[in-house]
Amino acid sequence: MAKSILAVDDSGSLRQMVVFSLRAAGYLVTEAVDGQDGLDKAKAQVFDMVLTDQNMPRMDGLTLIRSLRSISTYQKVPILMLTTEASDDMKAKGRAAGANGWLVKPFDPQRLTEVVKKVIG
Amino acid sequence: MTTREKMLSIEVKRLLSTLSDHGALHLVEVETDLVQTNFLLSEAIEKLGSSFLAMQKSVGDYQMLVEGILTNSAPPDVAEQLKTAQDEIGKHANAAITCLQFQDMTNQLINRIVRRVNGLRDAFGTLGSNSSDITPDYMVEDIIKVINNISKALEDQSVKLESLLWKAVSQSNMESGDIELF
Repeated sequence: MAKSILAVDDSGSLRQMVVFSLRAAGYLVTEAVDGQDGLDKAKAQVFDMVLTDQNMPRMDGLTLIRSLRSISTYQKVPILMLTTEASDDMKAKGRAAGANGWLVKPFDPQRLTEVVKKVIG
Repeated sequence: MTTREKMLSIEVKRLLSTLSDHGALHLVEVETDLVQTNFLLSEAIEKLGSSFLAMQKSVGDYQMLVEGILTNSAPPDVAEQLKTAQDEIGKHANAAITCLQFQDMTNQLINRIVRRVNGLRDAFGTLGSNSSDITPDYMVEDIIKVINNISKALEDQSVKLESLLWKAVSQSNMESGDIELF
């Protein structure tokens, strides 16, 4: 059965490219327009992986990760950040919040799918 | 010059200096973000153009091989050449997808620019609305009070603006970013 991924980003064009890349690799991808939307969708369905941006209106990526990690069903689900933020300081904050990896934009579709495959198979 | 007049001149000088500093800061940030936006757009458009031209060539090569198969004039290693052409198309399509993400980054930069410009507009608005309170019968102490209020409002607006701004986009080219698994 295909693995499910929740892709959270406030940029429609970026989501479109994430969806295109991951669906081509056989994953089921659900989109969320910001952290709050992501949290609502994650509560309604447990995904195999969450891929989230950092800077978003209503709720940012770090807050989303902390919120997800406080839900029992999301304590072990891999969460990757996909963001323009590239500083060591932000990566450390992401790691402390519970992120399993940090991908700096722009992403290469092949490298993205390789990482996702490595993380969830 | 009386002590009161000296105090007034000090406060006026401070106000003008504060206004100049805030204005200059916003404009330097706006300029930096605009230059970076321009870099990203130029590189993205150039690379997208190259990717699409390369894709067009690879698709042409692929079609020629298919036509060769249909007319029984294909080279002996046609399967290998088809695979190579297909891989080339995929590689150029991936490069195009990477470059198409310029919109996400330039959008963040433009949002920062807009907020900075709004910050400047608010600063000028504060200056205008507070100074309109001053009337000809104002005493020096009253004018000093108004100036102090304006200076404080400008400081507060700057602090508030900084807290609302997301971090600057650091990318200055459209190469794919680093990946780190924890």
